[in-house]
Amino acid sequence: METAPPFLDVNSLLEASEPRPRIPFTQFLIGGFILAVVLSLFIDRSAQGGQGEQLLQTMIGFGLMGFVTWIMVMGYLSARRLRAEQAAVGAVDELVQLRRWPEAGIMLQNMLSRPARSAVARAQSLLYLAMVLARYHRFEDSVKVHDYILEEIPLDDMTDHAVRLGRAMSLLREDNLLDADRAIAELRRTSRGVESAGLALVEIYRDVKTGHPAEAVEMFEKRQEVIRRQLGHRAADAWALVARAYDFLSRPADAQSAFENATILQPLGELLRRYPEIGPLTEKYKPAPAPAEVA
Amino acid sequence: MLSVDGTITRFRRDLTIAALLRAALMIVALSCVIAQPVLGMHQDWMPLLLVVGGVWVVLSYRSMQGTRMAADSPSLIAAGEFDRAESHIDAALKTFSLFRTAKILSLHHLAVLRHAQNRWRESALLCQALLAQKLGNMQGMARTSLLMLADSQMQLGDLQGAFGAMGRLYRYRLSLGEALTLQLLQLDYGSRIGSWESMLQGIGGKIQMCELMPPLNAARSQAMLGLAAQRLNRLELARWLRRRCELLADPREIAAGRPLLEEMFRQPN
Repeated sequence: METAPPFLDVNSLLEASEPRPRIPFTQFLIGGFILAVVLSLFIDRSAQGGQGEQLLQTMIGFGLMGFVTWIMVMGYLSARRLRAEQAAVGAVDELVQLRRWPEAGIMLQNMLSRPARSAVARAQSLLYLAMVLARYHRFEDSVKVHDYILEEIPLDDMTDHAVRLGRAMSLLREDNLLDADRAIAELRRTSRGVESAGLALVEIYRDVKTGHPAEAVEMFEKRQEVIRRQLGHRAADAWALVARAYDFLSRPADAQSAFENATILQPLGELLRRYPEIGPLTEKYKPAPAPAEVA
Repeated sequence: MLSVDGTITRFRRDLTIAALLRAALMIVALSCVIAQPVLGMHQDWMPLLLVVGGVWVVLSYRSMQGTRMAADSPSLIAAGEFDRAESHIDAALKTFSLFRTAKILSLHHLAVLRHAQNRWRESALLCQALLAQKLGNMQGMARTSLLMLADSQMQLGDLQGAFGAMGRLYRYRLSLGEALTLQLLQLDYGSRIGSWESMLQGIGGKIQMCELMPPLNAARSQAMLGLAAQRLNRLELARWLRRRCELLADPREIAAGRPLLEEMFRQPN
């Protein structure tokens, strides 16, 4: 009996989602056009009139129009399927933003279980797959997907940076500190001096994880403005991590203030899910109280 | 710089010419096929049919070129390269296109460009010209145009027009990004007409939506909610929202162009 592949099995999804070669409709159209021209010329030269010639010419005319119509219908259907695929990718994007991870996972499983129609949609789906895997704490699988994207798919600079950030974060969460350090060095090299709040966040996390709180605080203070400008509510991640760093440095007042800032911007539960390392802060410091209307 | 009024006139004229040409080519092609067997006109129609086919292919190719020219403009606008985006859009609008989609797309890009340049009157005119067309399966473009129209009219002080445009959006199923933009517009509108109670209705959901917005929009939306809370004497909520705004962006930047919001940051903690 055939067994279904496990949920979000990376190897099978990567293989199944490879785009397949398409039927070359344009070449058929050109071929058909040339054939019609040749046939009509042949009839002109060989036939001396009569019903047979007329019938053949009419048939060629209808055939040509039918052929053009067929190509147009196929093009329309193909464009509709492509749009449907794009819409599905958009839906996954929304589910990921709304943190509806199970639904996002199911959609990705369905989408990536069959050949993608466009390479761009596949690349986007794989990026979301890496995020969903990280959410389910399958960091090794997440790194595998990131590696595949970096090796196999041509990316623009911004996407390349985002993928490398996701990879470095997964390596850190996996406690693969050596590779994470290499990934961060690579990120510094590829970012070419462009200020990146994501990179600052990864570095702060690395420093907190490896017990270098002074470096984490220094990085945070240096990059605070760019973190605010680029991360928005996700700046809570940096505040939470720097609170842990202040706590390591025995600066309780600063730790309390940073912890409050973090919990003003994001719910504590979400922060604890992302960074289990900040768990001890909950025993020592108070989160910011939320008003009754939004608690 | 492209004159918007002239561009809209040219856009309408080009759509009419393209529709007439399409119809003419189709009628000629069909006539060539049925002339002999149905109408009994014994001539060789094949060369004419081939000419029609050739014209169609050439014009389709030119339409495709126009679409390609316009395709780069959204990324150029996003990168702030307005001059380059304008020249691409100009070229696309001047290229003859057999199909409506290419022309409509180019005009839409021009509306996006003018909106990004804060040229509200021109953006509103372009959005109105687009929305007057039958957009068929380009519903995404209709939604974006309505959002831009509502924003432009709000900035021009035409609150009734903005309300009308926002009302029309309820006919569509919005994407998450569009719903976020609409919420920002509704809060802006609410703060301008002083509808504080309605602004705070469903506050929990609104705040969750704010958390998904880009930093400045998130801060601005929450500042408007904070102002509503302040006006309704819900001071704990107002303080909490103000603190969030301060963590997200510079208060001066948040209040830029919206002097009402300055009041929110003037209050002592």
